[in-house]
Amino acid sequence: MPDVDVLVVGAGPAGSVAAWYAKEAAPNLDVVLLERDRAVGSPVRCAEGVGDAGLREFANPDGADWAARKITKVIFLAPDDTEVIVAERGVGWILDRTRFDAHLAAEAAAAGAEVLVGAEATGMSRNGDGRWHVRVKERGQDAVYCARVVIGADGVETMVGRWAGLDTRVPSRDMESCAQYVLQGIECDPDAIYLQFSEAIAPGGYAWIFPKAVGIANVGLGLVALKTDGRNARQYLDAWVDRRFPTAARTGYTVGGVIVHTTIKKTYADGVMVAGDAAHMINPLSGGGITNAMKAGRLAGNIAAAAICAGDTSERRLSAYHRAWMELLGEDHLKYYRIKHALESVDDDFFNKLARTVNKIPQHKRSIGRIFTHALIRHPQLIPVAARFFV
Amino acid sequence: MRRVTPDTIAVVDLAVCDRCGLCLPLCPPEAIHLELNVLTVDRAACTGCEKCVGPCPVGALAMVAYA
Repeated sequence: MPDVDVLVVGAGPAGSVAAWYAKEAAPNLDVVLLERDRAVGSPVRCAEGVGDAGLREFANPDGADWAARKITKVIFLAPDDTEVIVAERGVGWILDRTRFDAHLAAEAAAAGAEVLVGAEATGMSRNGDGRWHVRVKERGQDAVYCARVVIGADGVETMVGRWAGLDTRVPSRDMESCAQYVLQGIECDPDAIYLQFSEAIAPGGYAWIFPKAVGIANVGLGLVALKTDGRNARQYLDAWVDRRFPTAARTGYTVGGVIVHTTIKKTYADGVMVAGDAAHMINPLSGGGITNAMKAGRLAGNIAAAAICAGDTSERRLSAYHRAWMELLGEDHLKYYRIKHALESVDDDFFNKLARTVNKIPQHKRSIGRIFTHALIRHPQLIPVAARFFV
Repeated sequence: MRRVTPDTIAVVDLAVCDRCGLCLPLCPPEAIHLELNVLTVDRAACTGCEKCVGPCPVGALAMVAYA
């Protein structure tokens, strides 16, 4: 039975960074990173957008083969297709997740962690010696890994959390159902991401165009099923793409869930920490989770290493992980969650009017903050909504 | 916990299912499993609440009579 110090389940951004930092913090620990799929980074279930500053804490995108496109503009589309361009400095990047995830796993491997692909954790139980016994299927063979600390970075399914007795369930209203095509031969600004908020196009969520190259983009949407007319996410997307890009070639598609909730109440147990999507560490307003996952992975990796070196992997000790996360981003997500629900009270007509008002501000003076202020001055009916943002 | 046999339960069409895992955390009794790239609904555990059906991005889940 392989005996390891840290077993990380899932080689997405949270898991790879957790393995990387655990090994770097304590090089003599045995750290193993499991990936269920045959290749790290595949299949891609992501729109691949990431903010510049958060990314740079972990990897340098300048000239990197995993960075598909630098983004310098955000274009909001009103429900009636009115464009509002917001230029900001160094907005972010569209990644090539297949390469990016492999890059992070390679960082973990370079630090000395062992990366195993095609290795699926299927269950785990607490052993009498205070370690976790994790059952793993690897190329048809059954193995049991004995681990002092298990880091669950297993995404939306979040089975490690479930096995550890944590409540990782998601209320229906907080699950966005997403569908996305890779479209080729489309006309859009290749330096801009486009976001469209509309009850008719993507009820409860938004639709996006994230360019990966000139003429090529991830085009998708996320919606809340409870707010739809009964069609599923893929059907909503087909309707939008048929209308907006009728001649484009659809060269790929993906679907998946984005949990637009707040961090689970408890992200740790004896010898267990849960990170990234698995712990609902997604910005509930934007649906962005990559940098959050990496930051949580860094915390989990560092805390796992310190706990093992101190000979104490108890729930009490690992609770420091939860506190550190909540202070870093978890508390902010509680605010974003309230903003998200406040925005549900505004309709398509309001967004159309707001777009026309904001377009009267010179483009170089437009920022998210100014748009917001403008919205309040010109549309006083928004003030009660705004008030709820900050309570 | 006492369980009343539901009139209908969820079933998955594996020809349509994309194995994205979205439905797993939506299931209150945790009756949906994804292992070795196959999604299964545990007939004995499904309570027929339908919470998994609407959110499936590709419509792979449906309710059928419990029989």
